[in-house]
Amino acid sequence: MSFTGAVKSFGDVRAVAGVNLEIARGETVALLGRNGAGKSTTISLLLGLNEPDEGSVALFGGPPETAVRAGKVGAMLQETRPVPRVTVQELISFVAGRYPAPLPVPDALELAGIAELAGRRVDRLSGGQGQRVRFAMALAGNPALIVLDEPTAALDVEARHAFWESMRAYARRGHTVLFSTHYLEEADAHADRIVVIDHGRIVADGTGEQLKRSVGGNLVSFDLAGRGTEGLTLLPGVVSVEVRGDRARLRTDDSDATVIALAEQGAIRGLEVVPASLDEAFMALTSSAPSDVLETV
Amino acid sequence: MLDYLRLEVRRTLRDTGFVIGGIAMPVMMYLLFTNLGGGDDGEWKTASMVGMAAYGAVGSALNTGGGVAEDKVIGWLRQLRVTPMTPREVVLGRALTGSVTVLPAITAVLAAGGLVNGVRMDVWQWAAIAVLLWLGSIPFTLLGLGNGYRLTAQTTGVANMVCNLGLSVIGGLWFPLALFPGWLRSLSAYTPTNRFAQLGVSVADGHAPGLGAMAVLTAWLLAFGSYAVFSYRRSARTV
Repeated sequence: MSFTGAVKSFGDVRAVAGVNLEIARGETVALLGRNGAGKSTTISLLLGLNEPDEGSVALFGGPPETAVRAGKVGAMLQETRPVPRVTVQELISFVAGRYPAPLPVPDALELAGIAELAGRRVDRLSGGQGQRVRFAMALAGNPALIVLDEPTAALDVEARHAFWESMRAYARRGHTVLFSTHYLEEADAHADRIVVIDHGRIVADGTGEQLKRSVGGNLVSFDLAGRGTEGLTLLPGVVSVEVRGDRARLRTDDSDATVIALAEQGAIRGLEVVPASLDEAFMALTSSAPSDVLETV
Repeated sequence: MLDYLRLEVRRTLRDTGFVIGGIAMPVMMYLLFTNLGGGDDGEWKTASMVGMAAYGAVGSALNTGGGVAEDKVIGWLRQLRVTPMTPREVVLGRALTGSVTVLPAITAVLAAGGLVNGVRMDVWQWAAIAVLLWLGSIPFTLLGLGNGYRLTAQTTGVANMVCNLGLSVIGGLWFPLALFPGWLRSLSAYTPTNRFAQLGVSVADGHAPGLGAMAVLTAWLLAFGSYAVFSYRRSARTV
């Protein structure tokens, strides 16, 4: 699939402001961004639910609608409520039946972890179970690409864990998966590649490792052991200083110089140098105002 | 699309509100209206049977629109858009659902007429009335779809109820037109419900429906059909 300079506005709001993106077959890609960053709009463009005002979106080499009609796409949309008065079995069989080469329904239910709910009515399930039914709807047709819009929103930890297990099992079959999330850990743990979107633009694109490195910098921390914090910001390389309890955390873009300077002052108790976390990378990437630079890592 | 029809018919028949309001109510009203106060008027028993079967059919047909409005709100229509089903299939499937779900009301009221109230007609008349009421309900399904696609779930419910009660009463489905003042009677002749019931009444009287009935119903079919298409087009972008 590919986006080329896609733009979509709602009124004055540019929800998607010129996105360029390509995803290859078999990849598991996370679309990471805060609420309102443009993730859902990007997904609706991809699925052909909306049309871009400018630019183009191609799925499997053609317009999204054609790919959807051909049964190459399954989707789990946000903000849908359970369909009343049908059983899980009826619903999934119906959806599967729309596709040219669907999964056998028992397999689809098994993969989504809802085999034992087959006879239950969809509108009488718990939130987590309902979420898995929606996941089953996305994969029932055995489509080459599944798109999951914030699939784990409102799931508890256990349900979330089970959900990702299912997702990985599906991806292992060689399918392309694109999911959106605002949870960094999820993106890092479950995707081959993370696309960070902010203010309707892609601000970074790469593996979790690459993202961390792109922001650069390390975190040097040590025990203050009673000494003051004055002068720490003046040490070579230090960008910011944070004190938590008795521990100082210095963000630095030259950790060697910082450590040497600290050593000269004898402040090396419990000294630790760690790379910046993905969390920090994400903050650094998205906190700035919308920039015109499209950064590709 | 048959699968879609089957799924939606199932969902409708499992709706307690539909079963009570769309099937049980017309039957009960029919039995009540024809058996209060002696109730030995055979002609009224037949006319009211057709009227109440028509009323039930109108309610069930409009109910399809309520279903659409509900599906719009819960995101089911949006979900269908990301399956290989075409929008055309979805609309057509919904319209067909409407035409299937009117059958229980028609059958139930006719059965109450024949079995409880002792209405006697030839077999062909029973069959012709059932078929005519079935086909004649199509404009009302379209009206319901128009409301459902155009309005929110709540306003669709209200709009359908107003259409149903208003058209049924003015159309003479509940009470004989003879009780109406002259001006209302002439207005009634232009309502789709009045002409809809006439299809069945003329057959009960042993002759084919008149041209007037066909003409008025066709005009309403076109009007409601355009309304449905227009509403659908307008909503298609936002569903």
